[in-house]
Amino acid sequence: MNLHTEYDAIVVGSGISGGWAAKELTEKGLKVLMLERGRPIQHGIDYVGEHTTPWDMPYGGKPLRELYAEEYPIQSKTHGFDETTRHFFNNDKENPYVQNPDKPFIWKRANGLGGRSLLWGRQVYRWSDLDFEANKKDGHGIDWPIRYKDIAPWYSYVEKFVGVSGEKMGLPHLPDGEFQEPMKMNFVERKIKKSIEETYPNRYMTIGRCAIQTEAKNNRGSCHYCGPCARGCSAGAYFSTQSSTLPAAQRTGNLTLRTDSVVEKLEYDAQTKKVSGVCVVDGKSLEKITFRSKIVFLCASTIGSTQILLNSKSEHFPNGLANSSGALGRYLMDHTLGYGAYGIMPDDLEKYHVGNRPNGTYIPRFSNLPGDEAQGYLRGFGYQGGARRMDWKMMSGQVKGFGVRFKQALRAPGPWMAYLSGFGEHLPDKNSRMFLDDTQKDRFGIPQVAFDSVYGDNEKKMTLDMVEQAKAMLKSAGATNVGSFVSDASPGSAIHEMGTARMGDDPKESVLNRWNQAHDVNNLFVTDGACMTSSSCVNPSITYMALTARAADYAVKALAAGTI
Amino acid sequence: MNRRDLLKNTAILMGGIASSSVVQAMLSGVDGRVKIEKIIFSWDQKKMTQVLADMIIPRTDTPGAIDAGVPHFIELMVSDWYTETERAIYFEGVLALDTYCEKNFANNFLDSSAQQRIAALEQAEQDTASYKPPANKNIAVETEDESKPFFLKIKELTVLGYYTSKEGAQKELRYDPMPMRYDDIDFSEVGRQWSS
Repeated sequence: MNLHTEYDAIVVGSGISGGWAAKELTEKGLKVLMLERGRPIQHGIDYVGEHTTPWDMPYGGKPLRELYAEEYPIQSKTHGFDETTRHFFNNDKENPYVQNPDKPFIWKRANGLGGRSLLWGRQVYRWSDLDFEANKKDGHGIDWPIRYKDIAPWYSYVEKFVGVSGEKMGLPHLPDGEFQEPMKMNFVERKIKKSIEETYPNRYMTIGRCAIQTEAKNNRGSCHYCGPCARGCSAGAYFSTQSSTLPAAQRTGNLTLRTDSVVEKLEYDAQTKKVSGVCVVDGKSLEKITFRSKIVFLCASTIGSTQILLNSKSEHFPNGLANSSGALGRYLMDHTLGYGAYGIMPDDLEKYHVGNRPNGTYIPRFSNLPGDEAQGYLRGFGYQGGARRMDWKMMSGQVKGFGVRFKQALRAPGPWMAYLSGFGEHLPDKNSRMFLDDTQKDRFGIPQVAFDSVYGDNEKKMTLDMVEQAKAMLKSAGATNVGSFVSDASPGSAIHEMGTARMGDDPKESVLNRWNQAHDVNNLFVTDGACMTSSSCVNPSITYMALTARAADYAVKALAAGTI
Repeated sequence: MNRRDLLKNTAILMGGIASSSVVQAMLSGVDGRVKIEKIIFSWDQKKMTQVLADMIIPRTDTPGAIDAGVPHFIELMVSDWYTETERAIYFEGVLALDTYCEKNFANNFLDSSAQQRIAALEQAEQDTASYKPPANKNIAVETEDESKPFFLKIKELTVLGYYTSKEGAQKELRYDPMPMRYDDIDFSEVGRQWSS
């Protein structure tokens, strides 16, 4: 069956980017169809794990080992994955991808309305020209077609609506934004901050800038400090599609939302040189339906969007839609994750905290800043970290014995433990890629995604420095028992996958232009992480939001001007 | 209305989702704390588990492991959650306590005196001295070591069951599901650690 339903715009995906595309396009008067492959999830009502008490957790919160190994082997290895959040994640058995055991790639996916906006880490940092100019300066990847000045007003625009709490620092390489009151550092974190800033001239520690409101604004509440955000937040304190962009889009009356709608491919009309249809497989009935619109915004996530393009083959685009450059699927990046250090801060046992702060501390990039480029590797990294007193879970293995004395010993928390965990930039590399395995189809008949991506020498050298610098900073702050953590995590583990349909000015080298518009197909926009030309070292989502809002503004103006 | 009924009602309200894995998961979650699929503990194993949990976290001025239903929790975990390897180590550990008591005190564990039981459990702790947990290469993921010795197993289950119980979380420790702020305080203001 083929429904020739007409919309002004179709947005594929309902996560962070898709939500923004739907909000912006509907608010500008377009009739929009938003397609989501997963099930409907209603704000509040469907957050069934929210405020689950410890005594209601099955098996004391331990993983359901057989189920997770069988159906969630990838997703279950995510921090925060448990019975209070599992229902938001992809079922790896139902929705598999091709895993190469020699070069594993970790693809963490949501599967429901809101996508990973319900599950994300909520850290938001602006990029700067240090990031936008990096490719041009050191020759890895191609130059970004935009600079900070092009995106700065859009950062401001999205930040006000997102509700970002944070501290202004005045650093050129980590530009300040539109911030609500910062969350608080605790006593020991402030001591570490003081030590780092006194010991090192260009290093700073601040509280994480996060998409969690500390002021009730935007028809949403402020943080209650319960802690486990990924269970869903009925107060809407953190930014998600459900709490923020979806209600805004729905208020316009211009949004049609269709869940359980798996996009198989885009149809291309060689006469008009435009996308002429979005081909959907109904997730429940498996019925095939084609929807039509003037423009299409692909916001299905980095890998999801490129999977759709690679699967949209035609006479004109035998290697995937909008892929005349051959860059589609290539230059896949993530960040490095799991390198850093920890230590015990021995004093201050009379100090404690109240509240579960869903945020940590942040040390902005300090290596290879302009005028100080001599680290033996290119680009840089930032640290997320924090200090907290070791709780009964951590201490019960440390305290020997049993009985009254053991019980008594666990009444007070253990010593303060501080940690610094680095996120490092991943250089763009042509050989780091995703592709389709035509021999393996999923239950909708769509070829499965396969990966060929490893971290390179630059990332490896950088992670060594990450560990050494973290140890040195903790030691100079007075930490004892300082240990390092290193990781065997594969690309994808940081859940910051980027690239595969990069932006650039040259259509021969890039898929998208400076407006996130496909060079080859002018009514097609890709505004999620697939568009990224390099990876910076900061968490990427706020940049997707700003680029999406900017692209939507451009698209609507171009439609009105008749240039699309 | 208990939690299970509440969830069922929610499931009905949610219509199409009623049969989904979400609700199933939550329902099984309740079972995951309460209902044991198949009883495999003998009376002695049950009784010894009870005594051991009480020895690890006794009643003091606050409830102990027995008050908090920990023996049942341990039985559930060993019966339903443990792998064959872990279950075998658990039952062997219980048996070893009997063997120790019979050898040293000419009585089985349950018929030994309180002091003798303590000596037996101290020996079980001594037996863990050579145990080295495997290195964890990915700090984001909690790894389970199936071969962890008996004493560490029963201690871990007792601790987990107790401090996640209503009694342990609220009466022994402090529980505040919605603190509304994050701030420095003096430990003396609460006098106990937060349970979650």
